[in-house]
This record gives sequence, C-alpha cells and structure tokens, in this order.
Amino acid sequence: MFLTQTFARIPWAYTVRRLVYNIPVYMGVILLVMGCLRMHDPIYSYLGKNATEQQYEKFAEKSGLDQPFVYQYFSFLGKIVTFNFVDDPSWDKPGESVGELISKSIGPSLAITIPALCLTSLISIVVGLLSAFNRGNLFDKSLVVTAVLGMSVSFLVYIIFGQYFGAFVPKQHFGYDIFSVSGYEPMFPHFPTSFADIQYAINTWCYYCMLPVMISVIVAMGYDSRFYRAVMVEETGKDYITTAKAKGASQAKIMFVHMLMNAMIPIITRIMTTVPFLITGSLLLEVFFGIPGMGRQLILAIGAKDFPVIQAYTAVLAAAFIVSNVLTDVLYAIVDPRVTLR
Amino acid sequence: MPGCESPMQYKDEDRMNCRQLLSIFIVSLLLVTACGKPTPPPTDPGPKGNGSGGGSNANSSGDVDTSNDKVETDGGEKLVLPGDGLKVLRLPMVTDGPKSVDPVRGSTQYENKACAQIYETLLQYKYMVRPLKLEPLLLEEMPKISDDQKTYSFKLKKGVLFHDDPCFADGKGREMVAEDVFYSWKRMADDSISKNWWLLEDTIVGFDEYYKEQNDAETFDYTAPVSGMRVINDHEFEVELNAPISRFLYIIAMFQTSVVPREAVEKYGEKFTRHPVGTGPYTMKEEGWITSKSMVMNRNPNYRDEFYPVEHMTSDKLAGMEKPAGAKLPICDRIEFTYYVEDQPMWLKFRNREIDYTTVPAELLPEAFIKRSKKLRKGYIAEGIVAHKIPLLDFIFIGFNMEDELVGGDSDKAKYLRQAISLAMNWDERNNDFYNGINVVYDGPIPPQLDGHPTNHKAPKSYRGPDLTRSRELLAKAGFPEGKGLPKLDYYVSKGGNSAEQAEMLERQLGAVGITINKNLVDFSTLIDAVNNKKAQVFSFAWGSDYPDGENNLALFYGPNESPGSNHFNYKNAEYDKLYEQIRTMQPSPERTEIYIKMRDIVIEDTPYLGSMARTRYYLVNPRLKNFKPHEVFSNWVKYLDVDESKSKP
Repeated sequence: MFLTQTFARIPWAYTVRRLVYNIPVYMGVILLVMGCLRMHDPIYSYLGKNATEQQYEKFAEKSGLDQPFVYQYFSFLGKIVTFNFVDDPSWDKPGESVGELISKSIGPSLAITIPALCLTSLISIVVGLLSAFNRGNLFDKSLVVTAVLGMSVSFLVYIIFGQYFGAFVPKQHFGYDIFSVSGYEPMFPHFPTSFADIQYAINTWCYYCMLPVMISVIVAMGYDSRFYRAVMVEETGKDYITTAKAKGASQAKIMFVHMLMNAMIPIITRIMTTVPFLITGSLLLEVFFGIPGMGRQLILAIGAKDFPVIQAYTAVLAAAFIVSNVLTDVLYAIVDPRVTLR
Repeated sequence: MPGCESPMQYKDEDRMNCRQLLSIFIVSLLLVTACGKPTPPPTDPGPKGNGSGGGSNANSSGDVDTSNDKVETDGGEKLVLPGDGLKVLRLPMVTDGPKSVDPVRGSTQYENKACAQIYETLLQYKYMVRPLKLEPLLLEEMPKISDDQKTYSFKLKKGVLFHDDPCFADGKGREMVAEDVFYSWKRMADDSISKNWWLLEDTIVGFDEYYKEQNDAETFDYTAPVSGMRVINDHEFEVELNAPISRFLYIIAMFQTSVVPREAVEKYGEKFTRHPVGTGPYTMKEEGWITSKSMVMNRNPNYRDEFYPVEHMTSDKLAGMEKPAGAKLPICDRIEFTYYVEDQPMWLKFRNREIDYTTVPAELLPEAFIKRSKKLRKGYIAEGIVAHKIPLLDFIFIGFNMEDELVGGDSDKAKYLRQAISLAMNWDERNNDFYNGINVVYDGPIPPQLDGHPTNHKAPKSYRGPDLTRSRELLAKAGFPEGKGLPKLDYYVSKGGNSAEQAEMLERQLGAVGITINKNLVDFSTLIDAVNNKKAQVFSFAWGSDYPDGENNLALFYGPNESPGSNHFNYKNAEYDKLYEQIRTMQPSPERTEIYIKMRDIVIEDTPYLGSMARTRYYLVNPRLKNFKPHEVFSNWVKYLDVDESKSKP
C-alpha cells in the first residue's frame, strides 16, 4: 500500500525531463573536465622530463592521446554511455583497466559509506528531534555539549583509539575477536544461494566493516545532530504542533510523524548532498583499515599521475552529482505533496 | 494532512511503534551476535606441503646475535613435523602494493618481494651465510668464467618446469631452456615495458646495438640475434661480456633478470603483469591479487627438489635455524601478503599474532626495546617474540654540486670550505634525535658489511664532525673566518617525514661556526630535477646498494656518471676515475679491497659530500614463525620459512 502510494507520487514525466535536460549539462561538464586535465600535458607529467621523444610518441599513440580532442571527447562519452572502461588501461597499474579498478573498489567503499550514512542520518535525526523537543533543559544541553565535543576531536584520533580499544584490546586482553584491526573481505565471494551465504555476508560485514562504520557515525553525528536540531527547533514553534498537542497526540507521534514529515525537505537536502560522496569513499578509513576502496584508488591515481583513472573517476563523480540532484527533486515531491514539479 | 487524525488511532499506532521498536532491537541483537571472525568461504586449498621444518629462532635474550659468526656446514638434526592442515605464512608489506609482478617492470623492494616467490634467477644468495655469497639457483653449478674473464659458460638445471598454465599446451608447464633466459634478458632491453635496461647496459657484446636497433624499429624482435648471447643446447649457453665486468654475477641474481616463458607473455600481453608464470616455489592466480589489499600465493605443486640449506653461521645454530636442513622447499603451503600503509594497524595485528613479523617503526622502538641497550624488553621475550637487527646497505649523505662556483671545484679554498662544513655537522646528533640512535654513522661512501668500509666506521683521515675548532680553522683558511663573507648555502631537501626538523638541526649545527643555509623543502621530483640539472648547490640524498659490492657506491663518484647519471656530485678526479675503471673488471680480492680503500680516502679528502649514515631495520618475529633470517638485498627467503600453529594465539 505504502509502496503503491509512493510509486504514484513519483513525477515520472518531470524525472525523465530533468534527466534529459541534464544530458547537455553533463556533456559540458565532461568537456570542461577533459580540457582541464589536458592543460598540463598528462603524458609529459607521467613520463617525466627524461623521457625521449620516441618514448613520448609511442606512449601517446598507445594511450590514444595523439588523436584530435574532438575524437577523444566523443570516444570518452561513448565509454561513459556504455560504462565500458575495460579497454582503458591504467597507466600506473599495467594490466589493470580503469573499469576493473572502479568495479573492484566501489563495493568496499559502499560497504562502509552507505551503512554509515544511513546510521548517521537515523541517529542524528532522532537525537535532533529529542534535543529540539526538550529544548533548553539539561538533556538538550548535554546533547549539544556532547555534539560539540565530538566535533572537536580529530577523525584520526577516533580511528587510532577505535582500532586500539575496539579491536585490539578485546582480542589481546579478553580473547574476544569481535572486530578486525584492519582488512577487508568481500561479503559475497560468489552469488548467494543459501541462508549460510547470507549469514557469511552479515558476519563478514560485521567483522571487517562495523568498526569503521561506527567510527564514521560517531564523527559525523556531532555535525548532523546540531543541524537536525536546528531544523527541528524551527518546526516546534509551528501551528500544526500546537494543533496536534490539542488533539491529544502523544509526544512520540508528534515528533516522529508530524514534525519529521514536515522537516523532510531540509533532511533530504542534507542527505542528498552527501550521496555523491558515497562512491568516493573515505580515504582515512580506507588507509587505516586496509579497505581497498575508491578513495584510496583515487589518491593513488593522483599521486601517480594516472590520467585515465583520474578522468574516469571525475566523470563518474559528476554523473553521481547530477543523478543525486534529480533524485533530490523527486524525493521532495514524494515526501511533500505540496511540492509540485512541472 | 498531518495532525488531523483521531486520538483513537494514536493508541493503535503506538502499539505498532512498540512492535517495530522490538523488531529493530532483535535485528540489532542479531547484528551484534554476528560479530566475530567470519569462517572463510570454501576456497581452493592449494597443494599441500610436506610439513617439514623445525627449530626455534629465539635465544635467551630474545635477540638474534650475529657477532662472531662463522660459516658451518654440518647438517644438524632434521625434523619432520606431521600436519594435515595448510601451513600459511601471514606476512606484511609496508606499501600500497607492488604495481606489477612482471620482473622487467619491477624496481621496488615490494616488487622484488612479490616476484622473488614466483620467478627465479640463475643465481641466488645463500640464505644463512653472511656476508652475502652467491650460489646457483636455476643453474646446475656456478658459471665457468674464461681466463680473460669475459666469457661466462652456463649450465641450466634439468627438469625445471614453468608453472602449469593455460598458455602451455595441455596447460602443463614445460621445461625451462636456455632460449628462455635470453628471451627474458631481451625483454629488459624493450623500452616499452622495461625499467631496468641499465642493469645490462654496456655489459654484453652486441646487446647495446640490439637495444638501439629494436627500440628504433616498428616492432621489437625478440628473435633477433645478439652476438654475445650464444645458445649451445637446451641446457647450456654462453655469454660474452664487453669487458671483465665483475658485477655481472650480482646482476643475474637480481629479480629483474628472472626467467619468464614467452608463451605466457604473448598470451596475456599487458595482463602478464598480473598473471605471472614462472618457475618459482609459489604460484599466484590473477584473482589472488587484490589491488591495494593483499596477495595470496600457493605452493607450486611441480616445484623441483630443492632443499633447505645446510650451510649456516654459528649464531644460526643457537637459534635452531640449521635444524630443518634437508627439508623440501617451499616449507609452507601458502603465503598471504597484506599491505599496510600505516604503521598502527600492522603493529596491532602483529601484537595480536595475526601477522608473523613486523618491521618496527621508529616511534615504536622505545616500546619494544630498552633505549640504552637496544635489547628487547622482557615482556616481549616472555611472549617468545624475537628481534632481528638488519643493517641496510645504505649511503645517506648531503652532497655538494662540484660544479658550483662556491662549494665546487678542486681548488684548495673550495676543498677547505667543504671540509669545514663537514666538520661542523653532527651526524650522531641527527641519528640519536631522529632515529633513536639505531643507524650507523660512518666515514666514506661504502656502507657497513662491504669491502672497503672503515674499521669501527672511522677512516684514518676523517672530516666527519663535530669538530668545531678544526671547522673554524678550515673556514678561515677558505677565506671565510667565522663565516664572514660566506653567502647563504642553498640547501635542497625532499619534504615529508621529519625533513623540516632535520633541516632546522643542520642550520643550527652549521650556524655554530657561522655558516648559514637557505632551506629549500621541495617535492622529491623537484629535488631530482634540481640535482639532475646541476642547480642544487647542496642537497640531501640517499643511495641504497643494488648489490652487496662497494663498487656500486664507488660508481657514484665516477666522472662519466655525472648528472643526470648517478654521480650527482658531478665529481671529477682523473686518478679516481682510473682506479674505478680498474676495479670494475676485478674480481673480489685483497688487492681490489686495497683500491677500494684508496678510492674511499680520495673521496673523503676531496669531501664532495657530508656523511655518511646507514639505516638499521628492526624486525620483530612472533613465535609462530620459524627459520626467519631476512635480508633486504634479496627476497626469495620466504620459501625457507615455517610456521608452528601451536603458537598462533597470543
């Protein structure tokens, strides 16, 4: 019933129209990206000053950068449309294509970033609601102080202490191997066909990913809770809250149904701005926890001047931004019937 | 519209909320109980080994003492341990991972570590013997060298098989033959794939011409002949050198010269960099390598009969290293290399016994070792952890550009100035403050353990500071009393680590005699450019020896090697150059060592650099790991390692 209602609220015509309108925007972004990346000769940067002219020419031919820019542009667009980067070899990691690098590293990144975003948003919204509803009292003040304290501590400190007290100490001193200090294993080494496979996936995720997710949630919670509190505080003064109270609605109902529904626009805006960054992963978490994700690959590629990887990553990120913008508008329409999209 | 429902509805929905909350609680509980190390899904266990080995590395102090070592060749007690389970080595790599496992593309020690388990070279270093000595690996015997020391005759072992792979007919690895050796070396000449041509440049008759012709041609022809490379039959071949170049034997022990099969290179093309097919004790499937995470290698089931060596040092006997003598190699069934970019996770994993050894990062040295004695702390010894101290073949120095108008040149004044700067600098302070005093500070360019290195690290005539009185005297003789009139020296150093702090210390030390510096902290690539273009007046650099021979370091001062070559100092001394040309073709001998010493002293007197320092690497080994005696010049020692599963838990 809920799904049917939600489905019915999706402004399909508008969604398709917005997606189509964004095609030239995306083409423009790609043009800009490709132009910028070629401002400093990528082959020269990669091979270094000691490369001979012959080596330069051979490399340009091999990488396709000797072709006219227009050809390179449309050829790259073709690859984006078909999402086919398999024939695009990484310069720095011979034998591995850009497509392979992205497909192998996106899973580990999403295994951390999606649960982290969901949990952070969920907890922060609840904390924000409770804080706003108890505005000014000790409970609210202590939540605000905790949030500020949490924001003041560096991400690195959380990681170092998290690894030490969350994974190392329980195993070393109490024999409980709850979380891995670092490392990553794919949750689905093969297509799941049984309950045991699902159980293995949950088990693997908890062992390798839960600790970095918890750290990520703790770090982000301070910022998000304060934001959601501010949003909710604004809502508490509105007339519909007084009406609900007058009609005898419980506190929980007022907070989690009426207030939440009305505050969905800023909540969606906040969440959707972070969505494109889900695919870029978190560099610090990936480095410390040995997670072979997108953030690490991108930094390695930038350090090694791995031009095809940088170009493809930028294109994927730009696409993610556009899709998330369209999605944000669609979600506005779903959560608030007053929003009409034409 | 929100807020318009009847009060009755609230009660029902509140009950619903309770049920939903209960469900969320149960799911959370399930997630928490799911935590704990997952049982790995079924995978290919790989071939099982013989499970032979034994011995313990620890002595009562927890340190491996290699002083007064002598070579022993008695076999000792042989142990064969029964065991049905797989023996898995869990080893760290302090890197984001090798970029390739194609030997000709490799240059870093991580690529060396990966390639050395899969591929093999003609020669290898004796595992337990120090100083390092070469022995045959793919060869039946050491190569026969002609009287004029220009022609080397090689005899390959029979029955050496490449790994089973679909690139061969029926997927069965064929026998390695002489043509494979030349094919592999010719790949080193191919500029489109190789980074290592310099190893064989100006070495083999006709090879330089081949290099030029083939790289200029449209397609590289690996079948084109090289006059100095002659196949006699499948197992015998000859190599004729341009001159009696003594380093040639070391070169053919380097992993870049490993033997690869042509079929695999042609079948996999670029993918060969991730799909290795060699003759080594371990094999690696493409899916065994997860970029930026790990590498898993399995025992090569077709590995020929190679055995744990008998030859060892006296200290090895104390550590029980000689016990597995005669055990079939490789001893373990699987190697799991995990990459670590940060020290903390590697250290915690080591302390939880999840990896078998670790190098000790500088900031953790005081935690593991007593600062003054550098002995392992009691708690670690009680846990059965063993420390290994490995001095590296390093030459860390601060160089002068000898073509610079102020500090360069061979005039007496310029020499006095360089000597005065050298005497004002305190390497020991740098070592103590930045490296906990674990490095070796020494005179000359030849690192410890090599012929030509001065006794007790001090040459008879030395300009190594601190000796401020002498420094002031020489500064005055150079025409700059108390540094008056001396312009600021332009000092280039690569930024990162504690370079800025080290530069501050240098500024203070030199400032004590009135010498001032202008610090340029730059990217490594900028530093290289500045040095190669002869623009850096004074620069901080380090050189790690490619092979254990002082000749490798003495070449750094050979005139024709000037920048952009390895003579970054642009140092030119006719007498020195003549001596270098002489030693280049000499085999190790007391006469050659005498010349090394003479060359070393010439360089010390001319002082084209301030120095020197060599790093020391500390390894800690968990009791699970046995037969561990690493060296950083070669990396194929993993095949000798064994594990004791009974000591797996902390």
